[in-house]
Amino acid sequence: MHRLLVDIEKAYDGFELRMKLEVGDEIMVLFGPSGAGKTTALESVAGLVSPDAGEITFDDQVFFRRHRPGERMNLPARKRGVGYVFQEYALFPHLTALDNVAFSLRGDKDRGRLKAAELLESMRIQHLADRLPREMSGGQQQRVALARALAARPGILLLDEPFAAVDRPMRDRLQRDLRRLQKELRLVVLCVTHDLEDAFAVGHRLAVVQDGSVRQVGRVEDVLRRPRDPHVAEMAGVRNVFHATVLEAGADGVLLDWDGLVVEAAAQHAVVGELVPVYIRPEDVKVMYSDRSVGEALRANRFDAVVMDLHVTGDSTLLRADLADGHEIEVRFPGYTYASIPLETGRPISLCLRRDALVLLPSRNPV
Amino acid sequence: MIGSALLLSFQVTVTATVAIVIVGLLIGLFLARARFFGKTALEALITLPLVLPPTVVGYYLLLFLGSGGPLKEWLGIDVVFTWPAAVFASFVVGLPFMVHSSKASIADVEPALENAARTLGSSELGVFFRVTLPLARRGVIAGAVLGGARALGEFGATLMVAGSIPGRTQTMPLLIYDAVQRRDYGTANLLVLVMTGIAFLSLWAVRRIGST
Repeated sequence: MHRLLVDIEKAYDGFELRMKLEVGDEIMVLFGPSGAGKTTALESVAGLVSPDAGEITFDDQVFFRRHRPGERMNLPARKRGVGYVFQEYALFPHLTALDNVAFSLRGDKDRGRLKAAELLESMRIQHLADRLPREMSGGQQQRVALARALAARPGILLLDEPFAAVDRPMRDRLQRDLRRLQKELRLVVLCVTHDLEDAFAVGHRLAVVQDGSVRQVGRVEDVLRRPRDPHVAEMAGVRNVFHATVLEAGADGVLLDWDGLVVEAAAQHAVVGELVPVYIRPEDVKVMYSDRSVGEALRANRFDAVVMDLHVTGDSTLLRADLADGHEIEVRFPGYTYASIPLETGRPISLCLRRDALVLLPSRNPV
Repeated sequence: MIGSALLLSFQVTVTATVAIVIVGLLIGLFLARARFFGKTALEALITLPLVLPPTVVGYYLLLFLGSGGPLKEWLGIDVVFTWPAAVFASFVVGLPFMVHSSKASIADVEPALENAARTLGSSELGVFFRVTLPLARRGVIAGAVLGGARALGEFGATLMVAGSIPGRTQTMPLLIYDAVQRRDYGTANLLVLVMTGIAFLSLWAVRRIGST
């Protein structure tokens, strides 16, 4: 079992990074908006930037240590044995795929290239060996970059937005590959992304980063189901955060008053009379067919609404709807569903807020 | 006389170009990567010989190389009116081409590529020779060719610090001047053609490097 410990501080450009993180043999996703300090955290682990203070250790090897001014232990990047897949991959444009992968394999040149060729074969991209980066697609470059990062058998693999430049089917394949490689090579993997779907697809655990610090760490599902505070909830792609007063709370469920709309949620901790932030993921808001019967889960919380606007992104659609009196809610669904419902701006529709998907957030830090 | 001038020009140009490449590359790398106070002033200082009259450059060189200059007083080396003085002159006027060209092309190399090399186990020297230099090679070669061509054609400053001693410091440009004064148009025509040819070929080569 490997263990990477990061506990660092760094101030730059009027911004303060304070990152504390413990990663084992797993894929830890650093999730958050751009400018939150995720890349700087990766660069600190790789030794490409120096923190102001703190400590980075991998097993019993000290990468960086500085607790008092003057004290300083900073292992150069080349000695850390960290594989890094850069944003946009940073493949050497003057070298073929094979020579890119062989770059870190020192000593005998022919043996290095032989090993690189084996690695390309194991990743099933041997046909790319003689191509230059500019002759490869984004997905192909990504795989070569991954092979290059793994060539010197690092203990740690860092990935910076690795899926941003590849299309959907390729993305799925790369994500499966990454999970398999992590397991086979028992790697400590830190993966930076701002895409929730990617985080879900590859991450064992999720660290939500905002304004230079880790807001919450936990299993991906747990963080999404139970965001620690509204900031995390909002960042986790959840704009459906609203405030409601608890009317009733019991073993059967919680009854909420959302500025005049009565909403039912599953049983959870709630104090009657308290105003609490409530959220629901856009995926858990359903558009109802007027002529079909529905299951138990969708009986409650049905509301008439009007379509405000529609956003089609890739293969999913984001719909903004007005329930009544400025009650706004976002709905996300795969593009192929609801084909028979006319979804256009201004159209009336019927929505259902899944009862079991409504989550009450701790109210100490209102949005 | 033409033969010795050709040989001398070759000797001076090659020596000066080697110095221009090494020093120019180091300064170019430094200017491309380092941020420091007075960077613009340093760049302007290096570029000065491009715009100053050759006599001014020659005068400065005399101050540096001649009696009372640091080279003679501190190191005891007297090069005035010898061919190494011509090398100094050629070096100073050729250097700006190398510095600017290599600086621009090194600055264009993505820092992420150099960082990638570092994470892949390269030392700083390895990063430079395996990544930075190969990627900046066009600008570096162009700078070397232009700097070398300028070094070959150097006249004014050379005349001031090395004189025009046939067989010892009289390079091609100086011989042309000499030949014209003596109304030896045969020699002048030949050398003018040679110089023009070399200059044209250099520019042609630089364009070729830039376009491939």
